[in-house]
Amino acid sequence: MHWAVLSDYWPAILHGLSVTIQITIVAALGALCIGVLIGCLHQTRSYALRRVIDAYVELIRNVPAIVKVFFLYFVLGWEGMESAIVGLAIHQSAYICDAVDAGFRSIPKEQSEAAWALGHSRSEVFIHVLLPQTWAVSMPSITNQLIEVLKNSSIVMLIGVQELTFQAQQIESDTFRGFEAATAVTAIYVTLAFGIAWLAHRFEQRMSRSK
Amino acid sequence: MSIHYEQGLRLASRRRRTERLMLVAGLALAAWALREYRWEVVVEAAPLLLSSLWNSWILTLASVGIGLPVGIVLALCRRNGPRPVRMLAAALVEVVRATPQLMVIFWVYFAVPSLTGVRIPSWPAAILSLSIIAAAYLAEVVRGGLNAVPAVLIESAWATGLSRFQVFMHVVIPQALRVMIPSLISHIVMMFKITSLIYIVGITDFFRAIVLINNRVFEPVPLYVTMAAGYFLCCYAFSRLLRRFDQAPQLPSS
Repeated sequence: MHWAVLSDYWPAILHGLSVTIQITIVAALGALCIGVLIGCLHQTRSYALRRVIDAYVELIRNVPAIVKVFFLYFVLGWEGMESAIVGLAIHQSAYICDAVDAGFRSIPKEQSEAAWALGHSRSEVFIHVLLPQTWAVSMPSITNQLIEVLKNSSIVMLIGVQELTFQAQQIESDTFRGFEAATAVTAIYVTLAFGIAWLAHRFEQRMSRSK
Repeated sequence: MSIHYEQGLRLASRRRRTERLMLVAGLALAAWALREYRWEVVVEAAPLLLSSLWNSWILTLASVGIGLPVGIVLALCRRNGPRPVRMLAAALVEVVRATPQLMVIFWVYFAVPSLTGVRIPSWPAAILSLSIIAAAYLAEVVRGGLNAVPAVLIESAWATGLSRFQVFMHVVIPQALRVMIPSLISHIVMMFKITSLIYIVGITDFFRAIVLINNRVFEPVPLYVTMAAGYFLCCYAFSRLLRRFDQAPQLPSS
């Protein structure tokens, strides 16, 4: 083992880390927006809209993330970073939509019926009865999906985006020190993933305490 | 009563109309795409595409076939093992699950060989890395299933004088299996999707085949649409097929 190689390539790893974090944050926010939006839209009465969302979710869930990223990059000819972020956001949005939908389904139908019977409109019921409860139910699976965004961000090295995994392979092909590079990069990924999980756990605890 | 019935009929016919409309829109889109792009390239490459799809399936089945038993062992170690074994199993599973899947493949194919100096051929490396991923994820699926069996049931089974092994085989397994099956299915589908990452070790799976053909003929739209359709059909068909077994394991009634 030859750990000194890491000190030579420290700037490259840091650059990869910053790219990974950028992709993860932007893609996660995008996935969160799309996923929560279509998850809520899935609760509407419009049958056509619900079926279109169903089709979208099934399509996205059954195709690997890398296919979407390659599609944006090679077919639509987007920039590497753009296709990486949009591809990952679209990929995870379907899973987040599912989590949100599961949250809505977990609330007994009697609650909305009772609120309707009291004379509240559909939107009032949605905002004041369903949404606050859904949030608590969907939160753990949504944070899992955010960790998935971090993990899936490694695949964008295949379109040449210089993130962490890319740097690991670069070090391997430059110096044949794949083991050291992989150790450092894996350690960073694991730390980030556990960090997100820990933050999410703290957040959930605070949410449940404030209730 | 009859008002509700008629309302229901109206709703049903409106839904049928919506579905027909969506079908027509889909067919129109397909017809347009057929005229617009050169789909011959897909037809010409069909034998290669089919054999590469077969490779993807082999990778999936092999990795699940190896990963499931290892995952069961890991789950049992994490649940019932002595403390050090439990912690080791938990650490292994959690670290693999927190590592990007591409990184696991990188470890097996590039990192470990660079340390030991022995290069693993691409097929064993692919199956090994996918099996490691499958084992870690399936271990959690199995553990979730085992945890869903109420402790009271197990204790009362012991109290009736059954041995630990008997309790495990006849009380724990049948109930855990029922809970596990949906997430087991979704994880097998996940493994099929992950085989696309095997691209980097140079095995011609479905993903790599499409990329290679596209590099030669440069007809990205039909090829990438075929790729998405191939993955979609396989995953969708597979999850539908497996979901039929969802209700399968019935508890013996007496």
